[in-house]
Amino acid sequence: MSEKIVSELQARPVLEPRIGSGCWSVDLAKGEAITLERDAHADMVLTGAGHEGGALCLTLEPYSRLNIVELVDQEGATTDLRISLLEGAECSVTQVVTASSNLRVEASLDGRFARFELGGAFILSANERGTVQVDVRHNVADCSSRTTFKGVASQSAVGKFSGLVYVAPDAQRTDSEQLSRNITLGEARIETLPQLEIYADDVKCSHGATVGQMNDEAVLYMRQRGLSLATAKRLQIEGFVSDVVLRSSTELCREAFIEALESKLEKL
Amino acid sequence: MENETKNILQELETSDYKYGFVSDIETETIGRGLSEEVIRLISQKKEEPEWMLERRLKAYRHWLTLKHPNWAHLDIPEIDFQDVIYYAAPKQTKKLNSMDEVDPELKRTFDKLGIPLEEQMALAGVAVDAVMDSVSVKTTFRDTLAEKGIIFCSMSEAIKEHPELIKKYLGSVVPYTDNFYAALNAAVFSDGSFCYIPKGVRCPMELSTYFRINAEGTGQFERTLIVADEGSYVSYLEGCTAPRRDENQLHAAVVEIVVEKDADVKYSTVQNWYPGDKEGKGGIYNFVTKRGLCREGAHLSWTQVETGSAITWKYPSCVLLGDNSSGEFYSVAMTNNYQQADTGTKMIHLGRNTRSRIVSKGISAGKSQNAYRGLVRVSKDADNARNYSQCDSLLIGDKCGAHTFPVMQCSNPTAVVEHEATTSKISEEQLFYCNQRGLSTEDAVGLIVNGYAREVLQQLPMEFAVEAQKLLAISLEGSVG
Amino acid sequence: MLKVENLCASVGDKQILKGINLEVKAGEVHAIMGPNGSGKSTLASVLAGNEKFTVTDGKVEYEGENLLELNVEERSRKGLFLGFQYPVEIPGVTMANFMKIAVNEQRKAQGLEPLTAAEYLKLMREKSAIVELDPKLTSRAVNEGFSGGEKKKNEIFQMAMLNPKLAILDETDSGLDIDALRIVATGVTRLKREDNATVVITHYQRLLDYIVPDYVHVLYKGRIIYTGDKSLALKLEKEGYDWLINDYKEE
Repeated sequence: MSEKIVSELQARPVLEPRIGSGCWSVDLAKGEAITLERDAHADMVLTGAGHEGGALCLTLEPYSRLNIVELVDQEGATTDLRISLLEGAECSVTQVVTASSNLRVEASLDGRFARFELGGAFILSANERGTVQVDVRHNVADCSSRTTFKGVASQSAVGKFSGLVYVAPDAQRTDSEQLSRNITLGEARIETLPQLEIYADDVKCSHGATVGQMNDEAVLYMRQRGLSLATAKRLQIEGFVSDVVLRSSTELCREAFIEALESKLEKL
Repeated sequence: MENETKNILQELETSDYKYGFVSDIETETIGRGLSEEVIRLISQKKEEPEWMLERRLKAYRHWLTLKHPNWAHLDIPEIDFQDVIYYAAPKQTKKLNSMDEVDPELKRTFDKLGIPLEEQMALAGVAVDAVMDSVSVKTTFRDTLAEKGIIFCSMSEAIKEHPELIKKYLGSVVPYTDNFYAALNAAVFSDGSFCYIPKGVRCPMELSTYFRINAEGTGQFERTLIVADEGSYVSYLEGCTAPRRDENQLHAAVVEIVVEKDADVKYSTVQNWYPGDKEGKGGIYNFVTKRGLCREGAHLSWTQVETGSAITWKYPSCVLLGDNSSGEFYSVAMTNNYQQADTGTKMIHLGRNTRSRIVSKGISAGKSQNAYRGLVRVSKDADNARNYSQCDSLLIGDKCGAHTFPVMQCSNPTAVVEHEATTSKISEEQLFYCNQRGLSTEDAVGLIVNGYAREVLQQLPMEFAVEAQKLLAISLEGSVG
Repeated sequence: MLKVENLCASVGDKQILKGINLEVKAGEVHAIMGPNGSGKSTLASVLAGNEKFTVTDGKVEYEGENLLELNVEERSRKGLFLGFQYPVEIPGVTMANFMKIAVNEQRKAQGLEPLTAAEYLKLMREKSAIVELDPKLTSRAVNEGFSGGEKKKNEIFQMAMLNPKLAILDETDSGLDIDALRIVATGVTRLKREDNATVVITHYQRLLDYIVPDYVHVLYKGRIIYTGDKSLALKLEKEGYDWLINDYKEE
């Protein structure tokens, strides 16, 4: 399947309406790209079984705003997003993964005062394999980025997160944060590589990564209030990923997210 | 103020490498290049037994099949391994029996280095094994140590006098198959230190090795082996310097540490190899493999202050094999001008309840590149393993780079692995505040950097901590940003 | 309601409770006092069923059942409530959701239908008023970012929601300013009925100005060494524990 279906591309331009809402199909094999025009605002829900045909390339012109939401729940999906942000553009991406898949996001901050945000979560069970690669490239000064990816791997699943924050020479006053938080259960394995490559000195960059387990105290607390062990554990995982899934930007398909999450949690 | 700071920066960049003198000592070298013949020659010069030669040849043949590694965040010029002199020894006609017999020029060299090779070292409580170029020159305080059953001698002697220990432990932690430079070292190592602490013995003094590359065009391939038997304790220090030369010199050492049940080893390094000049010419290529193996309840702590070398490639590691064993890695890596460093650690958790802690402080100035690379691996059986890593970078000036490449692999659900990293610079406000209270910008930077590195410097034995602080100040000179 | 006989418990190799005897009847309020490290919190944890502690000897009967055979959540569903000394933060789990599950689990155990959303909301509004808890807090994650006072109020709010038969409050008063203390204590008093009982573990007499105990027990080195009425608390406040401890040593 080399086609990426983009549904519900809604535009709410600030100055004057340019595009209406509707469904788009983008032929990735032909290298088609999407450009969001200056000052345009859009919400985008990505569906389909991944984009094996190639990367989905997006260009955000100055001061445009784009909100991308994607649920990856089909076995073996491969997704590849390349986003270039020009001056003052803002992009927020939310990805929730509940099946074996291979995700890649590359955000290039190519204009000053651009802002990129990514919230993601993967929940894997059985023999599922999930890899996530997020590259955030600060090519110019005064941009900010936030990346939070949460991982839950249970049974014999393997989850890998690899993140890179690159700060080019002269990309001064970069403000970047990268977090990888993970929980393993059972025989599962988590690998995380939160990387920083920094060539400018006046920057605020931090990253953190944790691999841990359920908080036994919290489980005990919930059991004291009468919740079963299973419920307490499920609730904790739900809580662990909820801040990603329930981000304000996910309103578009919150129900689909919650449904996918709940059915996945049943399998853990 | 910015201008003023820039001026100080430039002025200081030109400050001299204090240890860049050449000693006028007659050295005996063998020709450049590497072949089986050369290895036989090294072995023969060192009057080694046949089994040692066999080991060297095996490693050499393996090395021939390997390619130079290039995964590090380094720009390494191609090294012609046939253009290196693999053996250089200060010429001596006979064995030394007392301090007085040491070549006065050699003694002066060590004096310049500030190594207290004289009897007053008793007061300092330091036993030194000084390795100049490739041969261990003099080991002090061996008798005092011998009373406790502690063996502390050069590797050459150990091969002759303690073959059973060498056969058992040499290559047991870092086998020649480990990597390119480990193989090269196993084939051509010329000397190094050997240390054995018997069961239950607490080594009464800090043991120390000083390395110095003196001869031109030589490579130094020393090998250190420390065996701490059950319940013993030793603190080991290693210092390095080299004269300034326009060409690059190769240093490819291997350090192996065996920490038996409940033993405790502290290994501290202050590395100050010649870093090259401010144009990036010359300097030592420092490619080192350091690893320790911890048995049940054992503890190994690595502390390093890396200020020298043109290129550093080094990852002192802990293999936490035994249950309840623990490893620590404390590092300050400082790069200036065109220096490149790619350093960090590996913590391999195999046993249950194993603990590790990583504190890495990178400081980059000038046009240098400084990378932390770490691996924390928790194997399936390492129940309740804990790791905490903290990797901070400080950037001074806007032409340098600071990079962090931590890898965490966790295959046990009861493990907790945490990593945190921050990047900061010395802020104008901090400098202004210090200036306003009467500190010069230079002092303020020194103060801030030493404060930043404090957590690591505290881990060093007292004498070393003072030296390390001074070294940081010297290496920092001219890097105010 | 609760009958504890010769209860001994340890954590690891360390014996902490060394033979506790205690009987609590419906309608009673008991206060347990004692110096630091005497085993007060351990007693509360063991009664709640914290698996960190091993019961090495003794019996605990609760409502005619062997309490020690029940696990933590079973005890809770049967009406045993522990107010934690240090309420745990549970990131991402909202109070409202958390309590809804807890309440319905209890109802299920009692053979009742789960509450409808409207009923639940009404209950929550009603109960949060008892402790003057800002209703906004119920939409936040459990205890996350709550102030010390809010956390303790939140414990009493949950107690009100779950309507326990036996409430054990572990140092619910510590870290509270006088206003918060009044609110928390008044909340507890308002929840008091003829058919339930409260065990208050505390350091200070001041809580007992609001929650008047029928009995005051002094716990020392894992044993209850003295039992008196509310005047004992006042005497302890004035004179400390030394006189009791000295007596105990002489024994």
